Amino acid sequence: MGKRFDRVVVVGYGKATGNVLKYIEEQRQAYGYQLEFIEHELHALSITRKICEERGIPYTSMPDKHELAAYLCSIMEKTLIVSASNNFLFPAVCVEKENITIINFHNALLPDYPGRNAPSWVIYQGERQTGITWHYVTAGIDEGNIIIQKRCAIGPEDKAYELTERLMDLACEGFAECFAAVLEERAQTISQGSILGRRMYRSTEVPGNGFFELSEEPEAIYRLLRSVDYGKNDIFPHMQTVVDGVRVEVIRYRKIVPEKKKDEENVIFLPLSGTHLLKIKYRIL
Amino acid sequence: MKEKVLEILEEYCEEALTYDGDSMMEDGIIDSFTVINIVSELEEEFDIEIDAKYVVAENFKNKEAIIGLVERLLEE
Repeated sequence: MGKRFDRVVVVGYGKATGNVLKYIEEQRQAYGYQLEFIEHELHALSITRKICEERGIPYTSMPDKHELAAYLCSIMEKTLIVSASNNFLFPAVCVEKENITIINFHNALLPDYPGRNAPSWVIYQGERQTGITWHYVTAGIDEGNIIIQKRCAIGPEDKAYELTERLMDLACEGFAECFAAVLEERAQTISQGSILGRRMYRSTEVPGNGFFELSEEPEAIYRLLRSVDYGKNDIFPHMQTVVDGVRVEVIRYRKIVPEKKKDEENVIFLPLSGTHLLKIKYRIL
Repeated sequence: MKEKVLEILEEYCEEALTYDGDSMMEDGIIDSFTVINIVSELEEEFDIEIDAKYVVAENFKNKEAIIGLVERLLEE
């Protein structure tokens, strides 16, 4: 096999990054590239450092985006950068370097839902399916040519973190299918077509603007709460509403059967379709 | 309380019940998504709030650590 890339650099965090990193390491001998991992966003439960230590992969923690940009721009060898679950925006000066090729995993079916927190937005908008996209990185956000896409259904009970996990698994599957073609520079790509005017989802945007009225359809409230549910990861602020004229924030919620209903302080119950109830525990602000 | 914690672990991560090491995360017994489910169930079952600062690998290194975390939160 020919050696087209001298170096592969993985940037990202989380489960998808860990699995992609393992896959790239397994292919290293066949292709002869150097491999390194850069952790840009640090997470309390991350195990990517452990994976690097176990497999002898050089690991660097680089939380400062300017330092990361400068480091990537300083690379002189022919390099493939794999951006997996990564929120760092590669500067144009880096993207346009001739010796650097960057591919990125986006957790939606581009050209739809570009930007941040796509799993939240697809749930909030009531989509029935979504998926993942691996694409080449250009100077624009999520604009490059598509290398591979994989689809999955969105279930009526899916929470953002559950969908995110499935998308990460799909991302790993897709990566394994396209990595050889990317390395050998023979990947067949598809243009995203005209993307002028498409909505870009910003990190500062929150589904429902972070607020709901109790008079709204309970199913819509449930969908909103599921769409921003990443467990204890504070990607979004707590959703707020008004109970008896008092502003409150949601601490947790759950779909329950009526038999489980009991009087609790700072809890409201809303009827969902069928016989279930939406239990919302709140804190007064 | 302990029995209830073990029931929750059995539902989301049966391997945790027999694991006798000290890093379920690093040993691949649980991942961050399983932790989210376990935290959600513990909060609901014991009507406690587990702040993000407690959701770290140390508090989920094995079943004893999880039980210890719940005990501390119930005492607060």
